[in-house]
Amino acid sequence: MKNRWETIKNYFPLLGLLILVVFFSIATGGALLSPISLQSLLNQVIATALVALGSVFVFGSGNFDMSLGACLSLSAVLGGMADIATGSLIVAFLVCIGLSLLLGLLKGLFASFVDVPLFIVTIVLGSLLSAFTLFILGDASAVHLKDALQPLPSFSFSQMSVINLVVLLSYFSLCLVLFLFMPIGRQVKILGGNAVTARQSGIPIKKVKVGAFLIGALGIGLAAFVILVRVRNIGASTASSMGTDVMIALVLGGMPLSGGPRSRISAGLVGATSITVLNAGLTMMGLNIAVIQIFRAVVFLVVVYVASMTYRTRLLPR
Amino acid sequence: MADTRKAPAEPLVSVLDLDKHFGPTIALDGVTLSFYPGKITGLIGENGSGKSTLTSIIAGMQQPTAGSMAFKGQPYKPATMIEAGRQGIGMIVQEQGYVPGITIAQNIFLGEEGLFRKMGVISKKAMVRAAKEALLSIGIDDIDPALYIDQLNLQDRKLIEIARIMRMDLDVLIVDETTTALSQKGRTLLYGIMDSLRGKGKAVIFISHDLDELMQVCDAMAVLRDGRLIAELDKADFSEDTIKRLMVGRELSGHYYRDDYETQENTTPTVLEVHQATSATGLLMNFSMDVKKGEILGIGGLSHCGMHELGKVLFGEEPLLTGSVTHTASGQSIVSARQAMDLGLGYVSKDRDQEALVLSASIQDNIMSAGLDRVKAGPFILPGKVQAYVNKQINNLSIKCASPKQNVQYLSGGNKQKVVFGKWVGRDCDILVLDCPTRGVDIGVKAAMYQLIEDIKNQGKTIVMISEELPELIGMCDRILILKDGRLNGEFERSRDLDELKLIERMI
Repeated sequence: MKNRWETIKNYFPLLGLLILVVFFSIATGGALLSPISLQSLLNQVIATALVALGSVFVFGSGNFDMSLGACLSLSAVLGGMADIATGSLIVAFLVCIGLSLLLGLLKGLFASFVDVPLFIVTIVLGSLLSAFTLFILGDASAVHLKDALQPLPSFSFSQMSVINLVVLLSYFSLCLVLFLFMPIGRQVKILGGNAVTARQSGIPIKKVKVGAFLIGALGIGLAAFVILVRVRNIGASTASSMGTDVMIALVLGGMPLSGGPRSRISAGLVGATSITVLNAGLTMMGLNIAVIQIFRAVVFLVVVYVASMTYRTRLLPR
Repeated sequence: MADTRKAPAEPLVSVLDLDKHFGPTIALDGVTLSFYPGKITGLIGENGSGKSTLTSIIAGMQQPTAGSMAFKGQPYKPATMIEAGRQGIGMIVQEQGYVPGITIAQNIFLGEEGLFRKMGVISKKAMVRAAKEALLSIGIDDIDPALYIDQLNLQDRKLIEIARIMRMDLDVLIVDETTTALSQKGRTLLYGIMDSLRGKGKAVIFISHDLDELMQVCDAMAVLRDGRLIAELDKADFSEDTIKRLMVGRELSGHYYRDDYETQENTTPTVLEVHQATSATGLLMNFSMDVKKGEILGIGGLSHCGMHELGKVLFGEEPLLTGSVTHTASGQSIVSARQAMDLGLGYVSKDRDQEALVLSASIQDNIMSAGLDRVKAGPFILPGKVQAYVNKQINNLSIKCASPKQNVQYLSGGNKQKVVFGKWVGRDCDILVLDCPTRGVDIGVKAAMYQLIEDIKNQGKTIVMISEELPELIGMCDRILILKDGRLNGEFERSRDLDELKLIERMI
């Protein structure tokens, strides 16, 4: 009986997504599901999903990363600058990924070797990175790809969708293989569930932590690049709500933020779709940004509360 | 043993037919016992005999499964320690009973800060002054209560706990194995307090593993064994031999243990060497031993004797201040769990729910957690191999479950322990360190564990079995080492003549 209930509970996140879609379709008089809206939803889902998928590894291993948004915007800004300076999208891509990996490595090393709660480290790191981004932007509020020395290719809406899908599918497959078919997936879950057990079971904790942050960083780098190519104007406030969006996404996707055995890759994808539908639906209903923020906060709290009741486990960092 | 005592008065506290069950484990079994005013009553018994369970129920820390209690002739059923304290029953606990990071005075008046409130502000000065008086009242004049409690050594911190308890106007004081944590000066002070309570017609319940101490301090003694009251003795009847004999004699029924007693040749090679090891916790001191190939080596002793730390030290889980653990065949010093595993060691922790298992994870994930390197094909883990690996353990160990995906938190204690065994048996370890492998499991699972341990031995593998149960050590081991205060205090070879009394004499 317990097992059947467990199986049913696995479908709660999808059910939640369905309810969101139905609710906002009705509330927006069907506008949510119009072709234009769907295409724009897809573009928005991609970036959140890229970050959320990688974050399954980071949060799954019991680490709490509060610097997701700041890492993303710095990577995108520097990628944009490289793009403008060289006129090459490939260079921009490499800068986005490289910088993001570097930051991931830094966080992984902190998590492994420095005995300070990581969520505090990442709060500080987030502020530092945002300040640094503002600093390198100088007087400009943003970098504009149209300022590039050589004209850069500009993509149409549907071309952009194809790029997005290819990037997301590649990264999703990579995460799936890592999580299900390589040791790190199981190691992440055991480590997040009980660090003492993990150590006594011979799991190389430091390696797993660094690995988790690098996988997460790859997602952030990819997200930085697709945002750069799509938005073409990148500032310090680009993706500033990404951090909270991803956390809400993971919870809506059915995974406790404290990580552990209930972590799953689907949480990244389903959750990212849910939060995007929620954001878009609320905007389409014509609510102002402040009301939307309040609404998101309430949804977050309700889901955390319900999840902590049903899972009987902690959702917040230790 | 008949109770020849003439009760001097009505008992102050009595327990009637008290039962306490933890799942399948029976910690207290129909205990009926009274504590009288003006008397210090000692409780003695082996680990797990039920002493601490009994006193913790009297002190309101937990509720009995069945039975009743009376205090001053009235029914008594405290829901919490605070309620018991208000009624006049207080306990000095075995473990840490203070709050770190605040001052001594704040610890003494924990929860009573309101006493020093003046117009909404708590006067630290007044609190320190009152704390000073509280300390003086139990004879401590050299501790400044304005200091942070962390600045005191462990022994003095225990004194602060005593001062806090003594502030309450107690009719019954329970002292649970506190003296092991006290310096000689602290002990003398505590004996003084107990003495003065006795003089005032109060009752004291005193738990200690130190028989000499109990015989000296107590007016009466109760011996517990396997959760049952075995005997009550008056001071006149105290004798070391009698008491020791009463403590032992756990019943062994059924065919659990090995029945071979042939003496083994002592020429088998050494597989592990512990040399002058002192653990970082200080519980293991300058300890040396050799582990021979193919033997079941038993390690016994009282709580805090260092045996559980020894288990961790062998597996590289506890840092050493001095000394080393060497894997003889490779010559490597073991310093981490991963390295120990690569050298063929496995470790079953005593603390199943906190250390050995991830409770929220499935049986499969738990069994696999230590065996990922066994199911790898290149960098990948193949689901088919994982399934086969896990199913093999579930079948071999007869783990009762609906599916390998079931969470371990819903399993019984015995089945949980089988999952832990599965983690290590699956790896095919050459040396298994088992810390209390049959703790909290029912008889049936126990028998299965013993059979498994014997099978592993018969495969030529080595087992170090740390246990708080003497019959288990005597019944299963080729050799038994007894630890006391972190040091080796006795070694016994397997023999039909070996009995608990011989071991206990080395433990106390």
